[in-house]
Amino acid sequence: MFRLFFTPGWFNGFDLLFDSIGLVVALLIAAYSWRIYSFNKENKFIYFSLAFLLVSVSLAFKIFTSGVLYYFPVRETVAQVLGPVAGSRLKYSALFYRAGFFFQMACMLLAWLMIFLVSQKSRARLTKFYEVTQIGLFMYLLLVVSVISNFDYKIFYLTSSVLLSLIVLNYYKNFITTRKKSALKVMAGFLFILAGNLISIFLFLQNGYYVAGQVLTLLGFLILLQTYRGVMRR
Amino acid sequence: MAVRRSRLELVFDILLAIQNKGGRIKPTHLMYKSNLSHKLLNGYLEELLQRELVILEEEPAKKNKRPLKAVRITDKGLSFLAEFRRMREFTDAFGL
Repeated sequence: MFRLFFTPGWFNGFDLLFDSIGLVVALLIAAYSWRIYSFNKENKFIYFSLAFLLVSVSLAFKIFTSGVLYYFPVRETVAQVLGPVAGSRLKYSALFYRAGFFFQMACMLLAWLMIFLVSQKSRARLTKFYEVTQIGLFMYLLLVVSVISNFDYKIFYLTSSVLLSLIVLNYYKNFITTRKKSALKVMAGFLFILAGNLISIFLFLQNGYYVAGQVLTLLGFLILLQTYRGVMRR
Repeated sequence: MAVRRSRLELVFDILLAIQNKGGRIKPTHLMYKSNLSHKLLNGYLEELLQRELVILEEEPAKKNKRPLKAVRITDKGLSFLAEFRRMREFTDAFGL
């Protein structure tokens, strides 16, 4: 059976629960950003909404693929569905998992790239031709990274960490400018997600790091949720 | 150099100026408070009236004088203000 990396058996299912919480938080932020776009028609809000939508799609792919891997009855059902396509012995089951992980990684990396670009606040971004072509190149490279990460998961977490570091830096600058508690919370949220990704790079040393990575990522999303709630209470 | 206010921010400034004056303000005062020219303010007021965010009221006339007009913010205008504050908080928090 295809596995990108091995996780502690007792933790199977908890990570899916954590990812579901992250998915809901990402959807809430995406929905509110979409609402602001419908109000003032500024492009940056639709890109921000799309970025968080991609985060939720990525987490949905992760939940589905990992769920199929963890639980035997689900695997059986998927095998029956894929049977006519892949043959009775399901020789291509690895292809299914690889496709699942590819979409998970590609969506997540593209989401981080979009959040990084939107949080940069450059007026020329996403309008000028040379900027758009550069973004196109970044997207291509991220897709390549996603394919390669299917053979070595470390590359995904490393690329994700680099992008998240740049996002954290942008949000640090934002906090310095605005001096708002909510801006600090958003920076802290992304900092926790970054820490989760950094720890996950070292999964090859010990699979317990997966638990630490997941818990830190969950904390990051919970801080983002708290910021969102704070905004809504106003 | 001061940053140019967006259309939505101008609407917010106008409504905020009315709210800060207890929900009712004279057009001339509104012009100074929102830092807009007479022509621009009239354009925005017309739009706000159409969207029912404000209403025009006439104050009772004093001796030998014309009746005075005042702009009053509506409930819809107040809820718009609250929504705009939320959006601004979100925008500031997420660095947009």
